[in-house]
Amino acid sequence: MFPEARLEIVLRVRAGRVADVTVRSTRLVQASRLFAGRRPDEVTALLPTVFSLCGTAQVLAGLAAMEQASGLPPSAAQTPARTLLLLAEMVAEHGMGMARDWPALVGLDPDLPAARRIRAAMAAIRPALYPSGDWTRPGGGTLHPDARAISAAIAAARSALADLLGADAEALLADPHSFQLWHRYGDSAAARLLEWLSHPELAGFGRGPFLPMPEQGPADLAARLEADREGAYVARPDSSGRVFETGPLARLSWHPAVAAAIGGHGPGLLARMVARLAEVASCLQEMDELVHSLDEGQPPAACLVDGCGLGLVEAARGLLAHRVELEGGRVKRYQILAPTEWNFHPDGPLVRGLRGAEATDGLDERARLLAVALDPCVACDVTVENADA
Amino acid sequence: MCMAVPSRIVAIDGFTATVEAFGQQRQTSLMLLTEDAAVGDYVVLGAGGNFAAEIVPEDQAQEALAYLAQVLADGQA
Repeated sequence: MFPEARLEIVLRVRAGRVADVTVRSTRLVQASRLFAGRRPDEVTALLPTVFSLCGTAQVLAGLAAMEQASGLPPSAAQTPARTLLLLAEMVAEHGMGMARDWPALVGLDPDLPAARRIRAAMAAIRPALYPSGDWTRPGGGTLHPDARAISAAIAAARSALADLLGADAEALLADPHSFQLWHRYGDSAAARLLEWLSHPELAGFGRGPFLPMPEQGPADLAARLEADREGAYVARPDSSGRVFETGPLARLSWHPAVAAAIGGHGPGLLARMVARLAEVASCLQEMDELVHSLDEGQPPAACLVDGCGLGLVEAARGLLAHRVELEGGRVKRYQILAPTEWNFHPDGPLVRGLRGAEATDGLDERARLLAVALDPCVACDVTVENADA
Repeated sequence: MCMAVPSRIVAIDGFTATVEAFGQQRQTSLMLLTEDAAVGDYVVLGAGGNFAAEIVPEDQAQEALAYLAQVLADGQA
């Protein structure tokens, strides 16, 4: 059988506080080594099938790395189309979290029909941009955008999300009063969750030192990847000893609703969940704007030369980096650094948020909530070992 | 890595499918699929394996399975 990757988080309690947190990961952070020997287009065609949660982001990071390495810049028309694909995956992933995972946190059943509506709407974007299906082609696929179908898909996702939240996400985040009214009086699972997380003992839980990921990634990212022959860096990344938080909170700490949550309770549980909501709303707005920038585009003539390239993409869960070395038109070396390795690092934001926490009743539940808020891309178990007991 | 293993549907009962990959069978929900699935289709499962995330064409699934077999044999898994 093929082993399922998991994260196991163990909190050790001594003298009434979390004294120590260990993270055990069975994630296959080195599997991309086996792309060596394949053609670039074979790798980008394989990526969406082997990475189901973030397949689009994986392809786009792979394409950016391949195109930089081979001196094959994509045409200007590819940029808005690829950004739309990325945002559609972000909406689908955050929407899935809100429809499938958030209800369970407040004792409700998952809203699978809503999850399916959001996924179906966002899945319609790709064929409406690249009807011949060649979007994974290095240099860019054949673009024939159907703006009407894309606008309809965005509207369908917005409507499914509004039904799920019991309010329009963009409107409820527009001012603090609307947001407060929504979670205080709303009866959707998301509103109940946010109301629960607004209690002071939960709102600030998990606020460790906040080290947001720099916008283009750490300055030493390319050099560290290049030097990482054994794979230690892609398993436990850092930058001069700092382990950044990546994902919605790091990207959207400027957003008024997120900034208000951070101002009130610090960068804890509430701020991280509000950032997910704010991100889904801002993605839909950005998608509306991008529809007007779409244009036709033909694939370039292949012109692959040897070299190395780094592709960076902000995926739903955070910064995703692909690095490739090409030789003789084939992949010589391939590395992937995924956001979960930052957020669930043994010195990362999850562990910093848990270390020193008071071991009062419900610690295991709060720790699980923090893990959900940081949104790992694999299943995650949390256990508490109490030396005081 | 959050790797997905394409799994072949061997039986369907309502919204629950029995799927097989690498000689192991498991049950998964078809509730999140946006298209109808049939026995013989390949699906990739979301994290935790409780839900099938999407249907993938057989040639794509076979190529991914060949790569994943290589990952297993190489000891990366």
